[in-house]
Amino acid sequence: MRLESVKELALLRYDAVVKREAQSKKILVCLGPGCLAGGSEQILAEFKIQLKKKKIKGVKLEAVKQTGCQGLCARGPLVTIEPEGIMYTKVRKPDVAEIVESTLIKGEVVEKLLYSEPQDKKKKIPHYKDIPFYSGQTKIALRNVGRIDFHEINDYIAVGGYAALAKVLTKMKPKQVIDEVVTSGLRGRGGAGFPTGRKWATCAKIEEEPRYVLCNGDEGDPGAFMDRCIMEGDPHSVLEGMIICSYAVGSHEGYIYVREEYPLAIVNLQKAIEDAREVGLLGKNILGSGHDFDIKISKGAGAFVCGESSALMKSVAGDVGEPRAKYIRSVQKGLHDKPTVLNNVESYANIPVILEKGGKWFASIGTKKSTGTKAFSLAGKVENTGLVEVPMGTSLKEIIFDIGGGVPEGREFKAVQTGGPSGGCLPASKLDLPVDFDSLTEAGSMMGSGGMIIMDNRTCMVEIARYFLEFLVKESCGKCVPCREGLYQLYQLCTKITKGQGCEEDIALMEKLSKTIQTASLCGLGQSGPNPFLSTIQYFRDEYLAHVRDKKCPGGVCRELIRFEINDNCNGCQACPKVCPVNAISGEKKKLHVIDQDLCTRCGSCEAVCRYDAIDVF
Amino acid sequence: MKFRFKVTPNLCIGCRTCELACAFTHQQNSKPGRSRIYPISYAPDKWVPVTCLQCDDPACVKACMFDALRRNEETGAIELDKERCVKCNACVAACPFGCALNDDVHDEVIKCDLCGGNPACAAFCPTKALEYKRIA
Amino acid sequence: MAQITINGKVVKAREGEMLLGVIKREGIDIPALCDHPAIEPTGNCRLCMVEISRAEWEGWKKYVTSCLYPVEDGLIVHTHTPELLEIRKNLIDLQLARCPESELIQKMAEDYGIHKTSYEIRPDSDNCIMCYACTRICEVLGCSAISPAMRGHDKKIAPPFDQPPPDCIGCLACAKICPTNVIKWHDEGGTRTIWDKSFEMISCKQCGKKIITKDFAAYIVEKRSLPPEYFDLCDDCKRVETARKMGEIVARVEEVAL
Repeated sequence: MRLESVKELALLRYDAVVKREAQSKKILVCLGPGCLAGGSEQILAEFKIQLKKKKIKGVKLEAVKQTGCQGLCARGPLVTIEPEGIMYTKVRKPDVAEIVESTLIKGEVVEKLLYSEPQDKKKKIPHYKDIPFYSGQTKIALRNVGRIDFHEINDYIAVGGYAALAKVLTKMKPKQVIDEVVTSGLRGRGGAGFPTGRKWATCAKIEEEPRYVLCNGDEGDPGAFMDRCIMEGDPHSVLEGMIICSYAVGSHEGYIYVREEYPLAIVNLQKAIEDAREVGLLGKNILGSGHDFDIKISKGAGAFVCGESSALMKSVAGDVGEPRAKYIRSVQKGLHDKPTVLNNVESYANIPVILEKGGKWFASIGTKKSTGTKAFSLAGKVENTGLVEVPMGTSLKEIIFDIGGGVPEGREFKAVQTGGPSGGCLPASKLDLPVDFDSLTEAGSMMGSGGMIIMDNRTCMVEIARYFLEFLVKESCGKCVPCREGLYQLYQLCTKITKGQGCEEDIALMEKLSKTIQTASLCGLGQSGPNPFLSTIQYFRDEYLAHVRDKKCPGGVCRELIRFEINDNCNGCQACPKVCPVNAISGEKKKLHVIDQDLCTRCGSCEAVCRYDAIDVF
Repeated sequence: MKFRFKVTPNLCIGCRTCELACAFTHQQNSKPGRSRIYPISYAPDKWVPVTCLQCDDPACVKACMFDALRRNEETGAIELDKERCVKCNACVAACPFGCALNDDVHDEVIKCDLCGGNPACAAFCPTKALEYKRIA
Repeated sequence: MAQITINGKVVKAREGEMLLGVIKREGIDIPALCDHPAIEPTGNCRLCMVEISRAEWEGWKKYVTSCLYPVEDGLIVHTHTPELLEIRKNLIDLQLARCPESELIQKMAEDYGIHKTSYEIRPDSDNCIMCYACTRICEVLGCSAISPAMRGHDKKIAPPFDQPPPDCIGCLACAKICPTNVIKWHDEGGTRTIWDKSFEMISCKQCGKKIITKDFAAYIVEKRSLPPEYFDLCDDCKRVETARKMGEIVARVEEVAL
């Protein structure tokens, strides 16, 4: 059923809207990464079974929809009931029958499944629009994620999908499309922040064929899952963005490079591509416009460095993913040495909205130099771990505390790590900084692709630096000396410090080495490699000094430097001796217990199991 | 090509002055190097100077997979780029006249380069068995 | 023709040629461990880094590897600033930790005032500096028998799956181009062994001298359409044969003259 014209697409959209509106009651079951791990597939199946059994008026089987990530991963599995906008949290399979009975049949809410703030557990908030986590957000890139069925092209079309493409193909010339993107001020969402419009304009000017449009779906930063959720939850938005790009720069061949660790994203993107091909939105003569474009998926093989543009292009071509010096930009000589546009998943997801509502509209959101919104994945020691999208310029404090709900378990905020391994850690004194491309970089970190890891006072910043350095050493391609040898030596020195074997000269050597690595490395991985060390030494130097001078770990993490002791709160409940793997704890029932420091391995099991705050870490 | 290296073998008397001239012109560490011209006796008291004939269709150039042998358009010589040569000895094995060889002492492959346009052997040959003539 | 400035001196260069060539032509000595005329530059060692700027950059400058940076008219280049010397020194210090036994690296370290590396020495170190010269020359040859394997600090030059490389023809280009003589080979009897692979050498039909492997000769014959007979004799015997043939010509000339 191929669409031969824009008019036919409009008719299809009309039908899709009618169908979608006809079933006004919707049960949206989140199949995002977190909820999926929590068993939401079984919940989805159970809803279908229940509806088949119960036959409720006005609620057909089609009412149950699988969606991408609904955002509040900390409270998953999530189920949203539309049109009311009721959100059920921590749903389990046995709850489904009750939801069907109470909400779908009787029209009542199930209290125990509603959201409540940790500081006021009695006050339930039934509608997600009223939950602070959601009310603080503005969704553009994530507009459809969590709302539509990711396997249904008609769902995407019903909510307005491919309307921007229709407008572009019939009413705009390629140059006008590029101008609109330039006006929007969109900057690359993968982290580098290069102006997207300028990239497209440069490629369009080069007189060489063929040209390629590539999408970077590698998302290697640990803790980042924004692109994953877009690829899994709204794959057509990526396709539409790429097709619009291909029209603007004159390309007929596109690839989406997806990391091997995202098999679901590959499945969902592949389905979207096949469905788009079937209706003629990919392939020859798209919507009768005369423009040809098709997309293939290129699978990664487990290398962080293949998120780097030139390494990615080598990987797509079937070579070993090693970056090259980019004195000649890849927009000139990219895939197969031909002009190539490479953009991030989130960048493409923004494109249809920019073309539909206009670049000026997009530029009115965010800040002057960082327009639009940005998706973030909140992870670590924060109450509301999950997926959020906020206007650029929103402060760290607002994201972490108002939307994120602050640090749980009564602990204190210590630092926030942004930008993945290439980024850095910022302390509490920097919480008022606006999050955009430039402000965090000035402070010694960077916004990066959107990963945000929050840390509390029981974190050791030296250990954090060591962790990220270990990651980078393992992921370095190994081609150039400063990164391969330099980061390795930096990591060795950092490890020494966490073991209490470091000295102050080591810190000076690490600072000197970092400068060389930054300046001399061949690609971004090496150039930003020392950042975990540099940002922590900038804001947490006293912790490093405690490790080397006093041989102590203030965060209570580095095993060789800490000790566990039982204090007066101990009432002899005997919970801890049971979990101690080396039988280091002794004591009589209901009497103060004691830890034998010679036997203790500092595993922390006793502290984890104690309910009386009786175990201190020094 | 503007010049041609001419060998008239019946004029060769086997005095080996050419060999000496070549060795002194291609000095290594201030000592005479390995000669690139080889006076050989093919019969009692009969000698010919065997040297690179700077072939029109050189086998050595074809055999070199690394593009280290190239014609110098001025002098007509097939020159071996010492910096580029990886000493694989393909040219040594391929030349039908054996005029590229491996100098074991200095660990390099050598061949006649017409001394950059003024071949010493021709300058010193007493019988004009070797001549370097302008042809254009 | 482009005009650039190197260390204050105005120099002419071809537009698009790499800076390193121009710098070397000017007689300026900068280290470039992974550079070789027979192979394309990769910028692995980073030692040839220079400082570049342009008049319109208003004092802003950047560091690039000169082996890969193409000449542009108006470029201002500096090759020996204190920052560059510091970078080179630190890089050689790192190489010394990696290859403590390499004479080449030891000499370079001495030149930069380093007697002992500041860093932890690599256990079981060999002298490979990861310049990729061997893999690049094998690519030029057209065989690509060896390549970089593994990632990061474990990276090594190896044949596929550490097995004797099927595509190797025993030409020894990799071993001879290696600046630190890491690749070992062995000629004994009529056999050459390299990368754990054995090759039969061509034996001169007259004297038995060996020059190249049979596989290498067959490769050249195929790729460059040379008669296989050219490889039957060694160079010494071919010269004697040439002399003999020239003698025949002399004899015929004398016959005709008579």
